[in-house]
Amino acid sequence: MKPKVAVLSGFGINCETETIAVFEMAGAIVEKVHINKLVNGSANLENYHIMAIPGGFSFGDHLGSGRLMGNRLRFGMREQVREFVKSGKLVIGICNGFQVLVKMGLLPGDEEVSLNQSASLTINDSGQYENRWVNLEFNPDSNCIWTKNLTRIRVPVRHGEGKFVTSEKKLLDEWDKSGQLVVRYVDPSTTYPSAKDNILPYPLSPNQSWRNIAGVCDPSGLVFGLMPHPEANHSTWLGATWTREGMEHGEGEGMKIFRNAVNYVIENFDK
Amino acid sequence: MKSRSCSVEVTTKSIPGLSDSKGNNIKKMFISDHNIKIHNVKIIHRYDIISNLNSEKIEKTVYDLFCDPIIEHGIANLHILNSDKIFPLQPDLHIHIGFKPGVTDNAGKAALDGLRTIYPELNNSSEVFTSKIYLFWGIPDDVNIDEIADKLYNPMIEHAITTKKEDCLIKRWGILRAPIKTTQPFKSIKTINLNVNDNELIKISEKGLLALNLKEMKTIQLQYKDEEVQRRRIELGLPSDMPTDVELECLAQTWSEHCSHKIFAANIHHVDNETGEDTTINSLFKTHIVTPTLDIQKDVDWLLSIFHDNSGVIAWNEQWSLCIKAETHNSPSALDPFGGAMTGIVGVNRDILGTGLGSKPIANTDVFCFGPPDYKGQIPTGLFHPLRVLRGVHSGVRTGGNESGIPTVNGAIIFDDRYIGKPLVYCGTVGIMPRILKDGRESHIKTPSVGDIIYMVGGRVGSDGIHGATFSSLELTEESPSSAVQIGDPITQKKMIDMVLEARDSGLIQVITDNGAGGLSSSVGELAELTNGAFLDLANVPLKHPGLSPWEILVSESQERMTIGIKEQDCKEFEKLALLHEVEATIVGEFTDTGSFEVNFGNKTVANLPMKFLHDGCPQLELESEWEVPTHKPIQFPSNNPENMGNILLRLMARPNVASKESWVRSYDHEVQGQSVIKPFCGINHDAPGDAAVIAPLQGQTQGAVISNGIVPRYSDIDTYAMAAASIDEALRNAVCVGVDLDLIAGLDNFCWPDPVESMKTPDGRYKLAQLVRANRALDDVCRAYQLPCISGKDSMKNDATINGTKISVPPTLLFSLIGNHKDVRKAVSSDFKTIGDIIYLVGETHQELGASELAFMLHDETNGKSGIGGQVPQIDATRNLALYRSLTNSMSNGLVASAHDCSDAGLAAAMTECCFGCDSGAVLEISSLFNHNKNLDIWGALFGESLGRILVSVKPQDSQLFEESMINHECNKIGKVTSNDMIIFNNRDKIILSANMKELREAWKGTLNGGNN
Repeated sequence: MKPKVAVLSGFGINCETETIAVFEMAGAIVEKVHINKLVNGSANLENYHIMAIPGGFSFGDHLGSGRLMGNRLRFGMREQVREFVKSGKLVIGICNGFQVLVKMGLLPGDEEVSLNQSASLTINDSGQYENRWVNLEFNPDSNCIWTKNLTRIRVPVRHGEGKFVTSEKKLLDEWDKSGQLVVRYVDPSTTYPSAKDNILPYPLSPNQSWRNIAGVCDPSGLVFGLMPHPEANHSTWLGATWTREGMEHGEGEGMKIFRNAVNYVIENFDK
Repeated sequence: MKSRSCSVEVTTKSIPGLSDSKGNNIKKMFISDHNIKIHNVKIIHRYDIISNLNSEKIEKTVYDLFCDPIIEHGIANLHILNSDKIFPLQPDLHIHIGFKPGVTDNAGKAALDGLRTIYPELNNSSEVFTSKIYLFWGIPDDVNIDEIADKLYNPMIEHAITTKKEDCLIKRWGILRAPIKTTQPFKSIKTINLNVNDNELIKISEKGLLALNLKEMKTIQLQYKDEEVQRRRIELGLPSDMPTDVELECLAQTWSEHCSHKIFAANIHHVDNETGEDTTINSLFKTHIVTPTLDIQKDVDWLLSIFHDNSGVIAWNEQWSLCIKAETHNSPSALDPFGGAMTGIVGVNRDILGTGLGSKPIANTDVFCFGPPDYKGQIPTGLFHPLRVLRGVHSGVRTGGNESGIPTVNGAIIFDDRYIGKPLVYCGTVGIMPRILKDGRESHIKTPSVGDIIYMVGGRVGSDGIHGATFSSLELTEESPSSAVQIGDPITQKKMIDMVLEARDSGLIQVITDNGAGGLSSSVGELAELTNGAFLDLANVPLKHPGLSPWEILVSESQERMTIGIKEQDCKEFEKLALLHEVEATIVGEFTDTGSFEVNFGNKTVANLPMKFLHDGCPQLELESEWEVPTHKPIQFPSNNPENMGNILLRLMARPNVASKESWVRSYDHEVQGQSVIKPFCGINHDAPGDAAVIAPLQGQTQGAVISNGIVPRYSDIDTYAMAAASIDEALRNAVCVGVDLDLIAGLDNFCWPDPVESMKTPDGRYKLAQLVRANRALDDVCRAYQLPCISGKDSMKNDATINGTKISVPPTLLFSLIGNHKDVRKAVSSDFKTIGDIIYLVGETHQELGASELAFMLHDETNGKSGIGGQVPQIDATRNLALYRSLTNSMSNGLVASAHDCSDAGLAAAMTECCFGCDSGAVLEISSLFNHNKNLDIWGALFGESLGRILVSVKPQDSQLFEESMINHECNKIGKVTSNDMIIFNNRDKIILSANMKELREAWKGTLNGGNN
């Protein structure tokens, strides 16, 4: 079977092209679905295995990145989203999509999918939007479906509001314990695994995110979000320093994430 | 139901580990731009909500909508500053800044949308106004408090109210009232009596900001004396012998320099006092731009659409075509750098969307020219310091590009004192479209028919942007109107782009164009040429606020609007699509074949302009041009011992024109859409400057597009022919550096000139026009030689500012932008040296060419003008260059080239330094062969000269023999090696002539403009 992916679009989402491409390269059937189609009933999430919220500038980041788009989902299609997650299907939010998932309370989330916000993504300490390449390290102990067997990858960040924070520091310990702190910025000169809680200097950590957090998953490991753009490194020639590396050309370092999801669907839904 | 007024105020919480970045940004700006150290700054975001919702409902939304429950405090209907818990200490200064009535408030619009998500019952007349309250603690005593606000707001578009310490202590805050726009009374149409004397005609033009000269006014006067015209007008119920205000405004827009390029179309009498030439040129545009391209078109099959559409279109492969366009937005950017620049970028995006049947924007470029960032002189009243212009323009282009999801892939920032009067803001966009639509139509050809319905799609019409086109055709004065300034709304536009591209793919669009300069008068007026007529009903046009008179609706340049023609049977589906995307689409007229542009307001005819008169009636200008060779003092060279030469290189690297712009460039998204192969920065630390951009627009496929720019206004001081030639060569050289396919390259010319029409105000108009003639001749010669057709272009001809009686003219500036094919992006080459031990070559001839070089200008600035800029300005040999470029790109596709970097500003020494940055290396060079090839060359010319056609290349040792063989017919100097030490050392016959430390060079290069270190 071919897993079906809904890549959401509209209102300033702008990474749908490459997000569609990576799922197609990973072997899925992908549809671009305008959010209003889900709200007005002409499309329904139940027809898909994976929902992806791509990066972008939904509603211009006004009133805080992801806030207004999160509200469209939280108020406009609340039960549809909850049903989707509860039925064991997969969700990914990248960059602005991650901001949406955090602001609507789906990430880091809870077992009940209660959609209460518990963390936030705020302005980078540099005070500005930045596009630069970073090194990511994945938590080997996480149950996140999307990041299985990943160690480190290089991908770009492209955001102004990517600093992961929360109101109660003890929540960080809980998420750490449950393996929800899936992916962190890392110093590439160290050996794997070495992600630390102490905040790395800029620009190794581009935004001074708490505990170097670049992305988190929900308790089930099915819902995953991250600030960096793995879909932007789907082919080797999109890398930052590929002209220095004399490599064999082919699939980029970001593709594994999408393959994991597509394979998971094939293994679990092909009945 | 009665409207209620509520407010919400939001501020960042104080949490350990969470800095207040918004406040810190203001602190940083005060230190870096004004040397004012403020202890602490905080910001309160205020929302004034006028709606049918009661205050209880608004209160409920505070933590759902207006503020983030984790990191922000929010409060409804109270001043958050009055909360001692949140603000235990009263500020020393409180400044409330908000928009003036009618100014675009994107955050307010978003908040309104957010409220409707929660409360669908929100009525249509509801409004949300946003504003900011800046709180300051610890302002140094010697700072004039009254000047703080001036640095934060732009009185052209904003109000500010300042509360000083004594009032802060008793919590008496000065709060602005919500800028509700008072409804202006509707003014019905007027007629303008043109049966007056010449003086009165000129007065009518000046008073109405029509920018029409006497000859044009008299042509209009004559039109309304025509008996046939009068007879027809009586039939239509129009005043028989005078135009309505709607008609006169429509003519002024259509005939404006901005829209009709009168100077490029002029008949020019050209005299050259150097050669004795005395000749007439009937239209620079036709002679030197169109004709060469048409001639090239005979030899190639990929020029699909040239000059007549919103952008030029080339066939990229069997399935896809590419289009490119650049625009300038200079005057608005001088008045409101943020808004002006943002409308520049989102405006040129619409040119792409409005090309053919609709093209998708896939890459932006931006090139700015500003006064020096460290400018110490007087700033004329009404203008901003260059650094503030830079910040505002950068921020506007960043917001416009990033929020639209279009990567900014290439650009430049140029500095010169003379851009203080008018900054130049060039915004370019590349688009892609499928060559054949599903319904079989070719996408680059518009297919309107009589009877097709005209929709206006996207934003609404307001009083913003009235007279932009005519205003930009005038020079900037202290009285320049604020209504000429608009702020773009990228999200409204993004929704529209999504929707239009779907409509295109569904085959719904018959014709499309954007509403830019001149608004509906231009967009519908121009499309009407395709069917020979159009009818427009202005009463149907949706307005931002009521009360606009018909002529204002017709010419308003309110942003984010497209004009689209749809077949009647497709209207329902088109409107359904608009509804899904939440885009407003309104029927405003239809295409006809009556030979007239007919405009109604409801049942009343308000304009009827014969198409022929509207588009061909404008009389040709007759202009005088006279070339005189300018004289300049020669360069006075300081001592040339090796350390001094090293220090000169250090100072050149720190010049704003050369210095790293990394932190500015990084805040543009250059990778969205997943296609970025060669990025703005390369090298081991991702901080070495790249040349051209390479993108692979089709996901997973390896065919690429190359995008580059060339701009060298410095050379205009000596010769604009050399300036234009150098700009084209620079664009092509940059493209060659990444391995462009030289058989598929196309260009864009974008002229920004000072007024070249001789007049009382412009006594040197003949010389400035001769400069334009020479630049055009270079464009003609060089583009033919390079087989590089111009497919579109733009000119902006009034880049002067007269402030306090002093006239400041920009240096004549040509931006040449290039788009080319790349056969296989996996073979693309970047500029950084790759490996220690690689062999370094300089390909191309080096001549003694230091006239108007970056070095000449530096020595000029350092000696207060004692040292001149005179000397030989770089000359072009395009045939020789092209042959070399072909050999070099062949070597690249054979994998023989490790790196290639353009050798331009500040010469070989600067290019070498930049290549070393990318490898964390040094280099040892022996350049005696350069002198062997050219006896006139001295070490200044060799190290810092800017001869064209040169590229600095590195090659792996094992490939060097094959590489040298491949370049056998060209000058190819093997000059050294990449070394692991920290020094750049240039030798001549084993004697050191320049020695410099890489660490120091890097610091100098990154220090000037905060490159990479914010």
